[in-house]
Amino acid sequence: MRNVALALFLAAFLLSCSGTPQRSLTIAVNAGVEGTALKAAARQWGQANHARIEVVELPYANLFEKEQLDLTSRTGAYDVIMLDDPWFPRMAADLARLPRDPDSDFVSTCLEVCRHPYKTGAYLALPYVGNAQLFFYRKDLFEKYRLGAPKTWDDVLVAAKKIGEGEKIYGYVMRAAPGNAVVADFMPLLWAFGGGVMEGNRAICNSPPAVEALRFMLELGKYSPPGYAGFNADEVSAHLLQGTAAMSINWPAWIAAMDDPAKSKVVGKIEFSQMPGERDPGVGELGAWLVAVPAGSKHAADAFEFIYWATEPAQMKQAALRGNPPTRRSIFQSPDLIAKFRSYPAQLASLESARPRPRTAEWNEIENSFGIYLSKANDGAMDPRAALNAAADSIQKILERNESATHP
Amino acid sequence: MNRRRIPEGFPWVLPSLLVLLALSIYPLIYSVKLAAADRGNFTRLFTDRLFLTASIQTIVLTIAALAIEFFLGLALALLVDSLARGRMFFRTALLIPMLLPPVVAAVAWRLIYNPQFGVLNGTLRWLGFHTAHLTWTSGESSALASVILVDVWEWTPFLFLLLSAGLQAIPPEPLEAARVDGAGAWRIFRDVTLPLLKPTIVLALLLRAMDLVRIFDQIFILTQGGPGTATETVSLYIYRTAFRFSNFGYAAAMSFVLLAATMLFSRGLLRAMRAR
Amino acid sequence: MMRARSGWREAARKAAALLPYLAAVAAVFIALAPVYWLLTISLKREVDQFAYPPQWIGFTATLEHYRDAFAGGSFAAYFENSVLLAAISTIAALAIGVPAAYGLARFEWPRQWDHRIADWILSTRMLPPIVTIVPLFLMLRQARLLNSLIGLAIVYTGFNLPFVVWMMRGFFEEVPKEIEEAAMLDGESRSGALLRIVLPLVRPGLAATAVFCLVVAWNEFLFALILTQTEAAMTLPVGIASRVTQYEIKWGAMSAAGVVAMIPVLVFAAAAQKYLVRGLSLGAVKG
Repeated sequence: MRNVALALFLAAFLLSCSGTPQRSLTIAVNAGVEGTALKAAARQWGQANHARIEVVELPYANLFEKEQLDLTSRTGAYDVIMLDDPWFPRMAADLARLPRDPDSDFVSTCLEVCRHPYKTGAYLALPYVGNAQLFFYRKDLFEKYRLGAPKTWDDVLVAAKKIGEGEKIYGYVMRAAPGNAVVADFMPLLWAFGGGVMEGNRAICNSPPAVEALRFMLELGKYSPPGYAGFNADEVSAHLLQGTAAMSINWPAWIAAMDDPAKSKVVGKIEFSQMPGERDPGVGELGAWLVAVPAGSKHAADAFEFIYWATEPAQMKQAALRGNPPTRRSIFQSPDLIAKFRSYPAQLASLESARPRPRTAEWNEIENSFGIYLSKANDGAMDPRAALNAAADSIQKILERNESATHP
Repeated sequence: MNRRRIPEGFPWVLPSLLVLLALSIYPLIYSVKLAAADRGNFTRLFTDRLFLTASIQTIVLTIAALAIEFFLGLALALLVDSLARGRMFFRTALLIPMLLPPVVAAVAWRLIYNPQFGVLNGTLRWLGFHTAHLTWTSGESSALASVILVDVWEWTPFLFLLLSAGLQAIPPEPLEAARVDGAGAWRIFRDVTLPLLKPTIVLALLLRAMDLVRIFDQIFILTQGGPGTATETVSLYIYRTAFRFSNFGYAAAMSFVLLAATMLFSRGLLRAMRAR
Repeated sequence: MMRARSGWREAARKAAALLPYLAAVAAVFIALAPVYWLLTISLKREVDQFAYPPQWIGFTATLEHYRDAFAGGSFAAYFENSVLLAAISTIAALAIGVPAAYGLARFEWPRQWDHRIADWILSTRMLPPIVTIVPLFLMLRQARLLNSLIGLAIVYTGFNLPFVVWMMRGFFEEVPKEIEEAAMLDGESRSGALLRIVLPLVRPGLAATAVFCLVVAWNEFLFALILTQTEAAMTLPVGIASRVTQYEIKWGAMSAAGVVAMIPVLVFAAAAQKYLVRGLSLGAVKG
């Protein structure tokens, strides 16, 4: 009797494993605010098309690794991947080419990073999340201290000092955890001071303007909460939300939280503006999230159908209502959405002028090295000039190594 | 007797040998091939500052954690051994940290360490201490120590357990004899207990050292090697090189350094096991 | 006067006798507090999780996080994978490793080959996982076994095999040879004697060995992290880890999963307590 039961159980188990053939998509998304909209869209598409949808949510730190392994090995585990735009040059070789070019309603900075080579090549992805850095500041406090909107980084420093001392809060908050975090918060400063990371195959991140920019960052650090050299985006946003810091560079994905009474103590008090400039006009860093189909996907037709569908104006509008920063001009300019999201004009302006990170397949490794030394400088473990010299040295090595060697 | 005859036990052992050849030795050979594909992989080992940092930190972490765990474990073993009552209870309760899945232990410590919302700073603040400068795993200077603290919490029980077993296995006669000779407690410990405990100590230290040089799980969850490179270890750097920078060859080359260190320990371990 | 003084002395002596107990209790507190804190977070409503001052006791308990994580959530799938994986890899490691242990313990080997083979087998266990992970990944990819429980089970079997051989070899050596020789004189075959006579005698050791394999497979993280990609094969530790580094961490659900992940280990450890030392020292310290 027991054997019969066991056999039945086994049979049922095997049947449930094989299942009936049907459409199915496996989608890898970033766990967190950026992935929410795509997740919801995927469920909706699955229901409408009677397709089985599996969403694999992975934290930012591991998403790249998982996707990269899947791509280079062509395992076909994922049918659609969501990727951060700086990963694109590295992944491009293993992405399936789009069956038709995207229309011109998309913001051009977002479209350019979907082509390989940059700006000119074939389209291999569609832009889904229109992220570009914005400057967040406490409008109420700026008015209280009779400060004009911050146009330059010098304005920011003056305001940080005044507000910080007057209010007994932190005048500024930034994230200087190594890797993506500190590099993202340093780039706008670097660009505003007229510096850059690399030029062709030469590291230039220790040029005089770069050193100046880093010195300035340390100046700002004096008004930042202690331990900011270990901060990530969540800590920066927590300080803004709690009203314990007055200004920061941040991403549009956090705007909704700032005006959400359940999460924020500063509802309606924060203004979102374009990045301050200094010697050069201010530009934010582009951090668009793209959707693409791996070349190894076994459901490529369905996968493409889904990503085109999800980036159509109608769907993107729905995603926008879920808090997803769009990549289409028409959505940014739609009056009913502007009425709902007061920051849309600033977001569009910042997105259109945003600068992407250097388009190199080695960006992850470069960012890792760069981030380590920037973080060390912010932590006081290294002098700014020495840190940037060391960073330039190691970035140069990475560039030379990969110039001579081809990757397996 | 034919000396060339295959030993009778060989067929019994063969399946295991084949499996291990396929899953351990073949991968090793494969690794050699990966690393040797580009000779630059080996020369880079000597000029890579990050690898040097990671190696130094792995050594520091191993030695510090090992020393603290050993002394705490020994002290606890002696303490519990001296209790008249409740020995069984203490022995069981003290083992729990070591049994948890390392991932779960690390998650618990993330909850504890968070500078703003963590229970550690929360409790200290409540007791009246200033905690603004206590950044634990998110501070460059305190991160490695914080990671070591977690390892000490998790693995002191291991030393405690093995040393307790060693203490219990010591026959009572030499201790009695020393006592009759009028030796003090310290003399007895130094001249009788410690020498008899030595094989266990060596074994426990080697087993632990081997795990420490390859430490990965806890750091991966607690800090991912940061801030800066403050908690970067060799295992983590190999992982990053292979799976983030897609440089399998260099990762393989670095892993041989780790392998060499492990082999050193494992030879000692096998000898210690033989000696028992 | 004298009485009072000796009474004071008596009290001091009693207090001194209590000191070791106080120290031991403090150690137990330090060992268990983090585990207890994880448990409270898994039971607290979100508003209380990070309340100040920290709520050690007397909070409103809720099971919503457990429902969140396991009822319909991905953690149910991770849990199932972990269970299957631990079971399959343990059975496989025992099936392959027990005969080897028997072979090494029971037969005459020329020139100490039994020791050499045993040492070699143990030394494979000492390979750091990060050393073999890259080739194993590439091998499994070729075999189309990435992201599958079977692929992971094969790797775990190889991982546990040396341990099985070493533990069981020790247990077999403790059984007197004469017992099975007598059975074989009665017409039992060699394998019959192993199955019907020797194995029942070493049953506690076998159970303890199985428990250790289960725990290792259950706790393993690095291989599972790299060799799995979707819910089809992700295990509980990978699932928990993948919830850690995101922006808005769902601490409740993650802690609940953590608590659930540690319960089987604690139960198993309690069951195999007698053999804990032996298992943790790879059989070197015979308990």
